[in-house]
Amino acid sequence: MKYSLLLVALLSASSLMAETPMQNNDMSTVSQETSVASQEMSSEVKEEQVLKKNEGIRISVTGQGVAPMNTNSPAQAYALAKRAAVADAYRLIAEKVKGVRIDGQDLIKDMMVKRSTVRTSVQAMIRNANIVETTFKDGLCEVEMEVTISHSQFAQ
Amino acid sequence: MRSRDGSYNFSLSICSVVLFLFSSTLLNASDYLVSYRYVVKDAILYNETLDISKSMKKCIGEPTKSLILDSYENDDLEDIILKNSTEFIDFIHTLGLQVEHKESTTNAINKSTTILTLKTTCFEVDFNDNFARISPLK
Repeated sequence: MKYSLLLVALLSASSLMAETPMQNNDMSTVSQETSVASQEMSSEVKEEQVLKKNEGIRISVTGQGVAPMNTNSPAQAYALAKRAAVADAYRLIAEKVKGVRIDGQDLIKDMMVKRSTVRTSVQAMIRNANIVETTFKDGLCEVEMEVTISHSQFAQ
Repeated sequence: MRSRDGSYNFSLSICSVVLFLFSSTLLNASDYLVSYRYVVKDAILYNETLDISKSMKKCIGEPTKSLILDSYENDDLEDIILKNSTEFIDFIHTLGLQVEHKESTTNAINKSTTILTLKTTCFEVDFNDNFARISPLK
C-alpha cells in the first residue's frame, strides 16, 4: 500500500515537472507578443510629431463652408461661405492642437436602442493662422489654413 | 516771456502754434473698444456682430502691429471699418480668436455650432486726412 502511494506521488510529481516547461513556453510566447505590441506602439509614437525646442510644427487644415440659400448675389454667397469655411478651419486647428472633448449617451429600452447621442466640444485660442488658398465651387467654399506652433508658445 | 529783441507777440504766437499742434495730435489719437463675434451653424454663417465704441477712459498698453485703412476724409471709425470691412476682419484674425465648437449627433442627425470671438480689445486710432492707423494695445 505504501509503495503504491509512493508510486502515485512520484507519478504526479513527474507530471507536474513535465507541465512546468510548457507553462514557461507559454509565458515566453506571451512575453514575445507583448514585446511585439510594444514595438508596434513605439513605431506609432515615432510617427507622431513631437514639439521640440528650436523646431516648429506646421499644422495645415482645410475648412469647408456653404453659402446660405437666400443670398442677393454670388459675391455675397462667396463672402458668407468663406466666413463659414474660416470658422471650420479654425475649429479643425483647435481640434488638432488642443484635442476634442467627447461625451456619449445611449438610451436603451426593451432591449432596443431608442436614442444614441454623441456630443463633441472644442475650446481654444488660435492666433497667427494664415489662409493659404481659397476655392469656391458649386456653393461650397474651401479654405486651406495653416498655423505654425513652436515650443516657446507652450513653455511656462 | 519777453524776448531779447522785444518781440513779445512773435514768441507768444510760436508758443500758441506749438500748443495747438500738440493738442491736435493728442486729440486725433483716440482709443476705441472693439469686439467681434460670429456664429456658424451647420456650416452656414448664422450671425455676425462687430461692436465699436469710443473708450470713456484712456486705455493702458503699448500699440502693437498696426493696420492702415483709407479714411475717405472721415473721422468716424465705424464708417471707416464698414468701408474696409474685409481688411479689418482679416486683421482681427491675425490678433487671435477664441474658438468654441459644439457638435451633437443624435440618431445619425448631426448639428454643429462654431463661435469665433474677439474679446473686447482696445485700439488706438490715429485719424489723418486720407487714412486712419489702427493699432491694438497690449
